[in-house]
Amino acid sequence: MLVWILFLLCQVGAPALAQDLCQRDAPNGYKVRISLKTALGEDAYEWNQSEMFFFQATMAFAMRRHFQMETYNVDNIILCVQTSRVSFWFVVTSPDNTTMLIPKADVEKAVRMSRHRINNAFLLSDRTLEFLGIYPTLAAPVNPDTPPWLIVFGVVIGAVCAGIIALLVSSLLQKRRKEKGMTEDGQDEEDMQVKGVENGINLDGTYNRGFTDDDRFTKL
Amino acid sequence: QAFYKLHAISLDSTMGKDAARAEWDNPMQFVLACVSYAVGLGNVWRFPYLCQMHGGGGFLIPYLLMLVLLGVPLFYMELAIGQKMRLGSIGAWRAINPYLGGVGLASVVTSMYLCLYYNVINAWSFWYLFHSFQSVLPWAECPVNSNLTGHVEECERATPTQYFFYRETLDISGSIEENGGIHMGQALCLLLAWMIVYLFIVKGVKSTGKVVYFTATFPYLVLIIYLIRGVTLHGAINGVKYMFTPKMEQLANPTTWINAATQIFFSLGLGFGSLIAFASYNQYNNNFEKQAIVVSMVNSSTSIFASIVTFSIYGFKATFNYESCLERVRLLLLNTFDLAEDTISLENVIHWIAELNRTHPEQFASLGGRLETCDLEAELDTAVEGTGLAFIVYSEAIKNMPVSQLWSVLYFIMLLLLGMGSMLGNVIAVITPLSDLKFISRYMSTKTLNGLVCLFCLLLGLGFTTHSGNYWFTMFNDYGATFSLLFIVLIEVITVCYIYGIKRFEKDVEDMLGHRLNCYWKIMLAGVSPILLIALFIFYIVNYIQGGTPTYQAWNKELGKSVVTEYPPYAQAFIGLLLASSVCCIPLTALYTYCKKRNLASGKRERTVSTVSA
Repeated sequence: MLVWILFLLCQVGAPALAQDLCQRDAPNGYKVRISLKTALGEDAYEWNQSEMFFFQATMAFAMRRHFQMETYNVDNIILCVQTSRVSFWFVVTSPDNTTMLIPKADVEKAVRMSRHRINNAFLLSDRTLEFLGIYPTLAAPVNPDTPPWLIVFGVVIGAVCAGIIALLVSSLLQKRRKEKGMTEDGQDEEDMQVKGVENGINLDGTYNRGFTDDDRFTKL
Repeated sequence: QAFYKLHAISLDSTMGKDAARAEWDNPMQFVLACVSYAVGLGNVWRFPYLCQMHGGGGFLIPYLLMLVLLGVPLFYMELAIGQKMRLGSIGAWRAINPYLGGVGLASVVTSMYLCLYYNVINAWSFWYLFHSFQSVLPWAECPVNSNLTGHVEECERATPTQYFFYRETLDISGSIEENGGIHMGQALCLLLAWMIVYLFIVKGVKSTGKVVYFTATFPYLVLIIYLIRGVTLHGAINGVKYMFTPKMEQLANPTTWINAATQIFFSLGLGFGSLIAFASYNQYNNNFEKQAIVVSMVNSSTSIFASIVTFSIYGFKATFNYESCLERVRLLLLNTFDLAEDTISLENVIHWIAELNRTHPEQFASLGGRLETCDLEAELDTAVEGTGLAFIVYSEAIKNMPVSQLWSVLYFIMLLLLGMGSMLGNVIAVITPLSDLKFISRYMSTKTLNGLVCLFCLLLGLGFTTHSGNYWFTMFNDYGATFSLLFIVLIEVITVCYIYGIKRFEKDVEDMLGHRLNCYWKIMLAGVSPILLIALFIFYIVNYIQGGTPTYQAWNKELGKSVVTEYPPYAQAFIGLLLASSVCCIPLTALYTYCKKRNLASGKRERTVSTVSA
């Protein structure tokens, strides 16, 4: 009889005890917030009791993975304060003693270790499956040996150098060719000046025969 | 006629020119060179800002009026002088009146200052261009800090685009006094910019003439592509509507008219000597009248066109920020009140704020300062001009576009082409008068002279790549060319119309073009433009005196934003030096010429006396 009463008490008391352990702002608990519609849009699945069970299983897995000796079970993860946002609180109890809670720091370490697996289990990401208080580690920046901008810079400046050298060399060759041509043709430059080429425009005049020196034949 | 030709021949011999001056291959090259020079960064980043500040569509009225009254006549006058004298600014003004050769010298000094700092903008464009070739644009996200827990603090307080500009591009110090060393990346980009300038001018107008086909036309192609991209962006219509809504009451504000005048003035590049230099390579009978009108119209319509593009992108950015703000508020409400995700959508956020305030007042009050007010008008009101618009605001808009790397590359190539086109004009304004001087053209070829000028400007320009370089850049930008140009152009107009004489000018133009000067040009040049210029000049002086100690925006890394700081005394002295050095050329040269003439005259008298006595 006594045993039966005790058993009944346990059945009633256990969940009540569990309720005491897990509550809003529990000192060793974490709040989880899930944004299904943001993450999956049209393909969002419904959040129901099965999903909650899945969460418990995933958390148990995470705890097992971190503390390799201990065998955590689904019952060790207690959930409470569910809202329609889809947010809830959870606490983790020790497998040996169901009244003892695992401290916050250990839970955090376990979550951090398996964060990627937990996210993928629910098809979510760090942003849409939030553990409030556990900040995701950001990806380390990729530092290439040569910064990419230097490569593009090298290509461009090489092309410009080549262009300048080509232009200078070609004009040098042209000048040398012209000099060689000049000594063969004669004094082209002087002719142009005599003809009155000013500002690049030929002042074409007509030869005025009135000023030619043919008087010498008519001298008396 | 014969007397004039003898006069011209004697001029040539004193100037020491070769028989044949270099020329543009065809008039189209000249027009494109002028377009390439006039259409620059100011069209893209200053005109849209002014339009927004002074009442949107209504600003077009003073702008177009000033174009007709001030811009086109002065542009015409500079082209006429260059084409007639066939010399750079120093030689041309000395030929017009020996006492006022200093005007040309002042132009060269101002152009030199412009050359020094303008190419730094091209260096920044190169930097951004090269950094666009990455899978994630570096200004899209804040970099993570050393222990990978969060982002770099300075970036958190400012925005990623601001952080990239001030920290990674400039590595700016806290004030103009803290100099620091040279930023190697910037120095390399500046070197590249100057090498490209040299490549474009190495063979004189022969090479420049071919380059301007590209630098004048390609930016339009990019602008059209951007226009199509811009107006199809979500929220672009907000920006365009905001810009073009005319606020006619702004027309009563005198600052509107002053800004319209200065914008026309600086946009056309008057007074730098570049237009004189370009026109000096023309055929004598080139029809510059038609070309002056065409180039001015093209320049102004490009400004208007560019501002449509700018504002559609602006509208996109403002709408994006507004919707991000709404999204953040929505999430905050959902998380605080634990409502299901689909209860609040972006459309009814405002409605829900009121609702929740009514139903859960204490919980709502606990939100406190975290609840932001999202205002589209406020986003659009953040008017930015200058380098801030181009490098911070635009890059912020670009990072949110799909395929942002492509748009980034395209945009910075356009900035580069605009900047390079203007640089060509600036450098040619310095080189042409120098190469016309007898003692320089005797000892070195054009290529060597060009190389030396580029090298000199590069070495001095390295000062702008130091940690405080941006502050010196701003100083040069604000004071190096503004006041001196007004003075130079005022003296130019008075010289041509009253000292040289409007009648002589008329005859020269008739000689070149074949028809008389229209009375529009006569009235504008002799009457309206000088009056407007004097009014602008007086306004500038009054504004400068009233402004008190000149200040600048210093970047504060703790606060993550710019703070207004006063210039230290030595910097203020330097500003004074900048202003005085170009303006003083005019009276000093007049004095020097006067003294030389007096010595010559007294020397001649002595010689004549001695021969008579002998």
